[in-house]
This record gives sequence, structure tokens and C-alpha cells, in this order.
Amino acid sequence: MDGAMILEWVIKSIFLILVMTGGFAYVTLYERKVLARIQVRIGPNRAGPFGVLQPVADGIKLIFKEELVPAKADKLIFTLAPVLTVIPALIITAVVPWGTEVTLFGRTIKLYLADINIAVLYLMAVTSISIYGIALAGWSSNNKYATLGGLRATAQMISYELALGFAMIVPVMMAGSMSLVDIVESQKPVWFVFVQPLAFLIYFIAALAEINRSPFDMPEAEQELTAGYHTEYSGMKFALFFMAEYIKMIAISMIGSSLFLGGYRGPFVDQLPALGPLYLFIKVAIVLFVIIWIRATLPRIRYDRLMQFGWKVLFPLALLNVFVTGVVLILVGG
Amino acid sequence: MSVEKPVVSLADLCSRYEGLLVPDERQGFEGYLISPDHLISFCRSLRDDVGYDYLSSVTGVDNFPAEQMEVVYHFYRTTGGPSFNLKLQVSRHNPVVPSLVPLYPGADFQEREAWDLLGIRFEGHPDLRRIMMWEGFEGFPLRKDWREPFFEDEAKPFKSRWPDGQVIRSEDQNPYKNNVRYPNDFDPEQWTPVGDDALYKGMLNLSQNIQSEFKTDQIVVNLGPQHPSTHGVFRMVVVLEGETVLSLKPVMGYLHRNHEKIGERNTFLQNMPFTDRLDYISSMSNNFGYALAVEKLMGIRPPERAEYIRVMMAELTRFLNHIFSIGFLLNDLGAFFTPALYAIEERELILDVFEAVSGSRMMCNYFRFGGVARDLPDGVLEKIKELVNDRLPRKLEEFERYLTKNDLVRIRCEGVGVLSPEEAIALSAAGPILRASGVPYDVRRADPYSIYDRFDFDVAYGLHGDIYDRYLVRVEEMRQSLRILKQVVRDIPEGPIMSGKPQYQARVPPGEAYGRVEGPKGELGFYVVSNGKPNPWRYHVRAPSFINLTSLATMAKNQKIADVVAILGSIDIVLGEVDR
Amino acid sequence: MLEKYLPLAIILAFAVFIGFFVVILGTIFGPRRPTERKSAPYESGMIPYGPGTRRMNVSYYLVAVLFILFDIEIVFVLPWAVIFRELGVPGLVLMGIFLVVLEVAFVYAWKKGALEWE
Repeated sequence: MDGAMILEWVIKSIFLILVMTGGFAYVTLYERKVLARIQVRIGPNRAGPFGVLQPVADGIKLIFKEELVPAKADKLIFTLAPVLTVIPALIITAVVPWGTEVTLFGRTIKLYLADINIAVLYLMAVTSISIYGIALAGWSSNNKYATLGGLRATAQMISYELALGFAMIVPVMMAGSMSLVDIVESQKPVWFVFVQPLAFLIYFIAALAEINRSPFDMPEAEQELTAGYHTEYSGMKFALFFMAEYIKMIAISMIGSSLFLGGYRGPFVDQLPALGPLYLFIKVAIVLFVIIWIRATLPRIRYDRLMQFGWKVLFPLALLNVFVTGVVLILVGG
Repeated sequence: MSVEKPVVSLADLCSRYEGLLVPDERQGFEGYLISPDHLISFCRSLRDDVGYDYLSSVTGVDNFPAEQMEVVYHFYRTTGGPSFNLKLQVSRHNPVVPSLVPLYPGADFQEREAWDLLGIRFEGHPDLRRIMMWEGFEGFPLRKDWREPFFEDEAKPFKSRWPDGQVIRSEDQNPYKNNVRYPNDFDPEQWTPVGDDALYKGMLNLSQNIQSEFKTDQIVVNLGPQHPSTHGVFRMVVVLEGETVLSLKPVMGYLHRNHEKIGERNTFLQNMPFTDRLDYISSMSNNFGYALAVEKLMGIRPPERAEYIRVMMAELTRFLNHIFSIGFLLNDLGAFFTPALYAIEERELILDVFEAVSGSRMMCNYFRFGGVARDLPDGVLEKIKELVNDRLPRKLEEFERYLTKNDLVRIRCEGVGVLSPEEAIALSAAGPILRASGVPYDVRRADPYSIYDRFDFDVAYGLHGDIYDRYLVRVEEMRQSLRILKQVVRDIPEGPIMSGKPQYQARVPPGEAYGRVEGPKGELGFYVVSNGKPNPWRYHVRAPSFINLTSLATMAKNQKIADVVAILGSIDIVLGEVDR
Repeated sequence: MLEKYLPLAIILAFAVFIGFFVVILGTIFGPRRPTERKSAPYESGMIPYGPGTRRMNVSYYLVAVLFILFDIEIVFVLPWAVIFRELGVPGLVLMGIFLVVLEVAFVYAWKKGALEWE
């Protein structure tokens, strides 16, 4: 370990965080544009050409907004909750590789921040932590909608986390490693989504529920709970929740791409490793498009049905899938 | 649904009450007068023996010169036929009449409204509170001797407005607060709703007797008035246990502008554009109902071509209202605006037609007494033909393909918010709500007005009375509307569009009339009383959105909180009409 | 060995910084003029009746308890998933027994109605 190494990590960390926050800003624009197109509208087009400055304008507006704290709220927790929500979202993608390694300024740089041998476990752990912020936000607001929204969110997220966990175990079994770099590399012959479509489906559904996206956007169901757990939040604190939600969208797209869709792998990536990030970017953009498309298309599932679906269908199915995969791989020797 | 033959004929019942039931013999009036003591027993026989099971409208008339307060009931049979009008006359100083809520629960909101605005006390009403005005309000605004803060003159046109050819506004002469009357020691800045605590406690007590294994706090939650999914400033007070609704009470009046009082100040013709503002989604239907009522009073009928144009506009309105409401029902189910915007696309095409004929897209003001305002401009009929024969059926088909078999829609809608046929009739539900519950009652068929008896169409009805059936009924009604429209554009004759000369001042002889149409949201009725002056003496709107809300509490009981929003969406209310 | 986790510590530090930075940004630039009405909890414009947080439906907590049970299951399955090829059939059988035992509990909870929301 040397100073240059630490400097590289620092630069890569800053770069990753900038990419995620910048990505968040433009995913909001991307979503609004795609939604508008699906809904026969034009979408934001006033701030800059094609509305590219819209996220900037939104951000500046939010900075200068008054922040309200409800009178009987627990002020400390109320302030901490959005921070607690955004931190896991920012760090979860640290273990996702963008490519193998490239040579830049005569130095070989690995295109990932950390390649740890328990990467999948890390993903699950960070996912679990991200529930705290939402639960605490709902509880500390002293607001009925927020409390109900926070409880709903907590129950929903932990329920679907089980299915999510089991779905993520499948690529681990296929690759025989928990490192995401190994998992991506072992998809060299064939992407796992073609071998394990069921696992990918379970992963995708559970991940949508995990980040409270439509049709599982129950906790913030506008129609009944106004805005759910972040009802009382305004200004930049609200922006943090918003940011966390969109960064999580990017994160599950990146993780899903890496676990099932071959990550940074694509044609000629072995000869030209710099293509890796580009392939990952394209895959993420496609997954994001599907997420937005679903939002534009489907009505919301009712909460009780959602919970029953998670516990009675998705969880047993994911468990069975893991076990059957194990049996087949051992007996057939995959 | 009582299809059985009535046990007693109406004439028999009337003769049984000989002496107690007096025919209303005033010039231009019809129906019977009864004394308050016999109202309940008479109405019970009327409902059970004669089959008048549907109480359409309850309202009051302030008979100021005669020092009387009159309560007017309009009964119908759900098997069809004309109305039976019943009236009560009580002293104006202490008007007390028995409540009909025990017999016809649908009278609930209407009696509360009559109490609120006219001060008629209904003995035996379970929950006689103000419904439109706020709890701290003093006085009864629809009484003829009540004057609003900016009072100028008893009737329009106001002489004070243009004394020397220059406009003078009463607001300028009379600054704010100098003429607003408050109860004693009342400070509007510090006022908090007084009735709310009692309302919440009452609702909690009602639902306290439900036992469960684990003790959970029951929560009183307000959905609205400032809520994204109540379609406006409408409020539902909900008692929740977990996610389940134990009881619900609608609270309304946030958009109340005393439509009827303003209508009584207006001249007859000035009310025509004013009806646009009731259900602003379907202003053409509102025009239709009001025009029918006044024409009944005047004893005129519009010429053929005008009748066809009227039906055409009314059916186009029905189509646009239903497609709009389905779009927004999907929104209430959590679909993110896509179905709603697709619906709006079709609606805009119909609004183009409205703009071409009336000059306005939403506030059409198109009907006149004895006809319509203008003839169809060149090319509009072709455009309507193209819409009716090609575009709208195609798009309706597309909507059906996306929604009718959609699993998520069916899961969310089937078996939710069920209203049985008996409940629907008793609660005076109207329109698609009533028909989805299995009562094929459509004013166009049951009591045909205008030229609806000439057209071939089926009355759509459902069997289960849930949200899904209401959706299906709306889809089927759109299809039937297109069917009627096809016949209209085929048969429409040439000719005049007004009977007689267009008048700025309609001469309306004294009398009363109840004009009702099958509006897109249900039975829309206008009860108009004239005393021969240029302004209506009484102008009452039987608003379907308002009366359909009576059944909301029944539908929402023991449903999930998420479904309440969908149920409200399936009733299809417009707050402009609810609060008036 | 632990140095592999150092990048994670670095990015965590940055994330914490960003989180608080954004909150402080809002505090510095946003106006702050609270009034009594403004800081009242939002309930669709009405004055809330009763406290905002209180005893909620027990099903939410049942879910939490069940979650702990099965989340630990995942933690046990994960290491097995990495090396199950080496462990072979005996490992598979052992894991099968472990899962069956847990699933009995799951079926019990299901039959007992812990997963119902009515």
C-alpha cells in the first residue's frame, strides 16, 4: 500500500460519487422525457436545449426553499433520516466493476473501486441499512401519513429483501465467488440471464419493490398517503430522499447488469477494456428505461396483495430456485 | 330492485289519504300537498305498496310572501314512469318536518343541505349538521330575507352597476369586512373548526365495538381537503385500523359558492352559462337539463334540428366525460397519468367540436330556451361523422384492449366498493353507480325527454355493483352513445334551430317545473319555480355528484385505505357540482 | 487483507460528507420563517386529531420478526453457495435439511395467518 494507491482510491471515490449524483440529476430528466414521450407529451424543454439544464434549475430551486420542521417532530432524527437514506445509496455501487483495467498516464488503473471477496454480502448489508433512513423519517415526522408510509415501506422492503437475497445467491453459485469481478468474468461464455431467467425476474421484481418504484411505490402512494414517509420534508432534505431514490434506481440497474447481464462485458471488451464502462452504461440505460416504462404503464398493486405476493409467491419461489440450482449444478456438474 | 307489481295503485293510495292529501292547485303547479304528521306513513305506503322506491330530490322553497316554507319531494319508480311530487307547507318561523332518512337513506345529504341553506329542521335525521356552510356560520343563506355581504339589489340586472354609463363595483363602495357578519366574539384569524372534534369522537365511538386479538390504536385520518386524490377540495374523515377503513364520513362545501342563491338573482337566461360551472367537464348536459326545465315552464319545444343537435352534444359530452373518468380512475389506482392523458387526447377532439359550435371548449353556454344558440358551422358535421364512425370507436376499442382484461385493473377493481341494488336505490344513487349495481334505470329510457324515444340504444347495467362493473358500464355507455350518435348524424334534418325569435329576456309564466336529464354522472335535475318575474323564484339543482356521495360511506366500509381512493374515483365526482 | 476494505471506508467518508453537506447547504441558503400553522403536521390541511405516532397494526411487527428469521437463513446459505461444488452431495443434503427445518417454521407462520393482511 502506498500513497499513490490511496490517492487513486480517493480520486475514484470522488469520481464515483460525482457520477452517481450527476447520474441522479440526469436520470430525473431521462425519466421525465421518457414518461412524456409515452404519454404523448413533450416533457421539459425550456431550461437549455432539450431541457438539459432542467435538473440544475430544480436543484437550485430546492436549495433556496424554506425547510420546515414539524413542531412535535424529533428534530435530530428528522434531520439525520435523509442523510441515513442517501449514504447507503451512494456507497452501494462501490463494489460494482466498470471494466477490467486501463492504462492511463502510464499507470494501470483498475476500473473498480473495491474488489472484495464478499461483494454480494456487502450489497445485501448496505441494502438493509438503507431501510433505516426511511423508517426513521416516517417515525420522526409525527405525521399520520408519514408514520403509515414509513411502516409500509419498512415492511415492504424487508419482505422483498428476502427474495432479493435469494435471487442474488444464484449468480454466486454459478460463479462460485461472491466477488462481482469474478461474477462478471464468469459470464464470458454466456450471460446468467439466459441460464437463470427466473432468478433475474425475481431479482428485478424484488429490486423494484426494494427501491419503492412503481408498481410497488406503496410507501409514497400519492393517491392515499400524499407522499408517504417524506410528506413533511421540504427543501434539500426532500432532495436527499429524491436523490436516494434515483441513485438506488441506477444502483439496482448496475448491480442487475453485473449479476445477470454480463456487466461491462461485450464485444471486443477484452481487446479494448475502455469499452467496458460504455457497455455498462448502455445496459444501465436500458434497464432504467424498462423501470420507467413500467412506471408509465402499470397501476399500483394494493398493499396487502403486495405483501402476500412477496411472502407467498416470490420468497418460496426464490428459495426453491436456489435449491434446485444447487441440485442441478451438483448432479449435472455445471 | 322491486320489479313486482305494485300492490296498490297510486290513485288508490291517494283516495285512502282523502282529505289529508290535497292536490296542489296553484297555477302551474302539480303534485300533492300533505301535512307533516302523515308524511312518514304516506311515504311508507308510497314506497312499499305503490313502488315509488326512488327519492330523486328533496329541496325547500322559501315562500316568503306567504310566510311559508315548502319542502318538495320528487319520487320515481325505478321501473320507469313520471314523477310523483309531494309537498309540505310549514310555517316559515319554525319549519320542522319529519325526516325521510329512515325510509329513504338517500335523503341524508339533501335534507342536510335544506337545513343548512334554508333552515328547515328535519326531525329524526341522524346527523343534521351544516353540510355546505361552515360550522360557525349564522343564518340560512337561501332564505329570501338573507342578504349576502356584497348585496346590491334583489335581482339582476343590477341598476346600481351602470348609473351614468360607468361601472361601479360594490366591492369598491363597500370595503371588505365592513359588511361581513360574524357571530359575536368571533375572530376569523384564530378560529379553528369547532365541529371537528365532535365528528371525530362520534366516528371513533361508532367503530369502537370491533374486537381484535391485539390492541391497535384506531387512527382518525383526514383525506383532504388538500389532498392529491380527492379530485378537488373534498374531504373524507376516515377511521383506520391498520390499513382497514372502519368508518368514513365525507365532508364537503369547501367550494361552495351558493350557486342557487346566485341563480335566483340571475335572470332565467343568465343562468344558462352559470349551469356550465356546475359539472365543468360536461357543461352541455347541464345546459340541457336547465333548458328542459324552463321550456317545460314556458310550454315550448325546440324545432327538430335543434333537438338533434342537442342530443348530439349531450351524447358527445357523455363520451368525453366517461373516457375522462376512466382515465382518472386508473390514475386513482396508481397508474401514472398515462391512461388519463390518452383519454384527454380523445376529449380534446370532442372539445374541438364544442369550440366550433359554441365558441368555447368547456363553458359552452350553447343551449337556449326553445333551441340552441347557433347552427352547426360548415364542416362540423363532417368532423363529427369522422369522429363517430372512425376515430372514437377505434380508440374505445383500444382502451378496452388495454384495460378490460388487464389483471392489475381487475385485481384492484373486482369485488371492491360493492353496492347492492337495494342499497343503491335506497341511497338515491344515480347514473352509472345505480346501473352498475344491477338497476337498469336510465332517464333516457325510463322517462324519455327530448327525442330519445326515437333512437335505438341499450341501457348498460352491471351485476355486481363493484368498481369494475362501474367501469364496464361506462365503457358500454360510451358504445351506446356512439350508437345514438350514428343515428343522429344520419337523420339530422335541415331547418330552424330556434322556435320563435331569440330573446334576451325569457318570459316565463308562473309555476314550477322539474327538468331532468340523464347526465353522464347520473340524473341531473333542475327544479325551477317562477313567479312570473324575469328571475326564477327558486332554482335548485339536483346534482348527481353530490347525491352519489351519499353512498360513499357504505361502499368504503371495511375496505382498504387504498381502495377508498379508487371507490371515490369510480363515483366520478366533480367538485363544482358537489359543492355548487 | 483489510486494506481491500480501505476504499470502502474512503467512499463512505465522502458519502457522509455529501449527505451532511447537502443538508447544510439547504440550511444556509433556505429562508427560515416558521409560523405556528406552517410547522403544524400536514394532514391535508386539517388540524390533526391525536398524536401522529402511535400503536400501529401488529402485522407490521410480525413481518419484522419473520424477516429476521429468514434473513439469517440467507446469511447461512451464502457461504454454502460459494463452495457448494467442493462440498458436493453431502453439503447439499445438509443444506437441504437446514432449509426444510426453516421452511417448516415458514409454513407454520403461513398457516397461523401471520402473512394475512385482513
